[in-house]
Amino acid sequence: MTLGFTLVGIEVGWAFVRKTEPLLSIERLTKRYGDLVAVRDLSLEIAPGEIFAMLGPNGAGKTTLIGCVTGLIQHFDGTVRVAGYDVRRDYQVTRQVVGVVPQELNFDAFCSTRQILIYQGGYFGRRRACERADELLRIFGLSEKASANSRWLSGGMKRRLMICKALMHQPALLFLDEPTAGVDVELRDELWAYVRRLREEGVTVFLTTHYLEEAEQLADRIGILNQGRLILVDRRDRLLNRFGTRWLTVTCDRKLPKPLKDRLAPFQVTFPGPDCLRVRYRGARDPERVPVVEQVLAAVRDAGMQVRSLEGGRSSLEEIFRNIVKRDNHPDAGAVVEPEGGYVR
Amino acid sequence: MCGEGVVKVDAPQTGAVAPGVHADAARCRVDALVARARRERGVYGCVILFRRELDRFLRYSAQTIVSPALTTLLWFLVFGYSLGERLQEIKGIPYVDFLVPGLVMMALIINTFLNSGFSFFISKIHGTVVDLMVTPLTPLQIIAGYTGASVVRGIAVGGVIWAVAILMGASTLHQVGITVAFLLLTCMSFALFGLIVGILARDFDHINFIPNFLIMPFTFLGGVFYSIDMLPGPWDTVSRFNPILYMVNGLRYGMTGVSDVPVGLGLAIVTVSVLLCLGIAWWLLATGRKLRE
Repeated sequence: MTLGFTLVGIEVGWAFVRKTEPLLSIERLTKRYGDLVAVRDLSLEIAPGEIFAMLGPNGAGKTTLIGCVTGLIQHFDGTVRVAGYDVRRDYQVTRQVVGVVPQELNFDAFCSTRQILIYQGGYFGRRRACERADELLRIFGLSEKASANSRWLSGGMKRRLMICKALMHQPALLFLDEPTAGVDVELRDELWAYVRRLREEGVTVFLTTHYLEEAEQLADRIGILNQGRLILVDRRDRLLNRFGTRWLTVTCDRKLPKPLKDRLAPFQVTFPGPDCLRVRYRGARDPERVPVVEQVLAAVRDAGMQVRSLEGGRSSLEEIFRNIVKRDNHPDAGAVVEPEGGYVR
Repeated sequence: MCGEGVVKVDAPQTGAVAPGVHADAARCRVDALVARARRERGVYGCVILFRRELDRFLRYSAQTIVSPALTTLLWFLVFGYSLGERLQEIKGIPYVDFLVPGLVMMALIINTFLNSGFSFFISKIHGTVVDLMVTPLTPLQIIAGYTGASVVRGIAVGGVIWAVAILMGASTLHQVGITVAFLLLTCMSFALFGLIVGILARDFDHINFIPNFLIMPFTFLGGVFYSIDMLPGPWDTVSRFNPILYMVNGLRYGMTGVSDVPVGLGLAIVTVSVLLCLGIAWWLLATGRKLRE
């Protein structure tokens, strides 16, 4: 009885450890190229099953970071573990777990599209690679090009083939380095749908992108890398709420009188047109949001005016990202870029 | 506003990792992959790389086997039958018999070098080397895949030349063991050398420079067409510093029983070349120098 309890206890304890164990663990990673520090003292953990988007301007160190995890870069300071295994010491295990879609398009001029996939699966020890290759070719719409030399594929098709290659051994942690660079909208949407499907199948996805909409659509968490430093990591929704602004544009039936404008002065209100005002507030969870909106609308009613239309909006991740990076590059800069665009919800 | 909320993260918030939505499925997948890695150890992958390289040169066999074999046979016809009429015998054997081992060695040296060197270099140029570098293959397994296929190509080209020479009644076989040893070790040596050059080369000039300005002159001066005993001093002595001389004469001894240099020394030199090239290739792949970064 005691023994049984102990064993159960161990099992429960082990399950707890496993549940909290990150799939990717990076501790104090620093990568230098001569005097240039490409990645500086970076620590990060990725949980199994999540989609993580790493944002950053050109040269921020995103690709270098991926290189350190996937084995393309061997010399760095710090520790990188995948599923608890060191990427340099136990690379045969970690590379089996990881799949990577590089940023640069590549092609194998000597083999057919299908043959490339079969060989790529074989390098990872995958038997019956033909079936898997045919399945991926079908999913990514390349079946008709199965016998074609990859040299003659279009850019979008080459990108798809690269994704197929990375998926041949069914990795658990997939790195997508700018996956939709240079692809059309249709393929982009297909790819996003497939990434979501991969997540349902248990694939953890780490993507870097310039297209912030991509991160906004896909990611559970978002990291921002700037000049090799990880300046921010947060859940997507929290990031949008924490750093984003929302606004409500109120269009009235006539020109706004000066007394009304004076009354609205204590609030963050701007006047985009003579008959129009825009009130801003922080994220959806801003406790001040409802009272502010109510008070602004009450002031409009008290001025004897009628509301012709209401339009809500919020700052996009792109604006948030721009602001954060700008603040990081110029810490003393007081003003931040005022959100202008964004999409209406 | 946005800027007010920006937090400088000196110690990034790594602790806030919540398990993903599909964490259980993810963990199952990881366990299966770790088990596969433990089981495979890259052995099957190495075989696949070898097959891929084999497939690559067999797909273009007209260029990779027939063409070099044909070129070498032209050498054989021109030198063996036109010049051979005048030279008659060298070291007591007909000149045509004397010539065959040299031509076989010359063909396999160039072909093994080009096979691994060109294939690896092209994979760098086309960017597909990344697909190989992220696999679980060890540096030795990558070397084995490339070198193994190159050796097969070298033996295939050399074999075609030898077979035609036999059909024309121009070749002999003195010692099988020595012949096979020199064939294999020389093929391995130049396959590894080609791989090293393929790893280090930055453009097509680099990959063409070595065969045109290094291998070909050294091969021609390595006693392919003549015995160094025929050279005036000090060139006969200078020739002894050419490692290819020992490879050519090693094979010549195996096939005809005559050699300008001690066969044991030749065997030692070709073995050292294999080990030296193997060490350099392993170091380049293991460190990722000129390759991964």
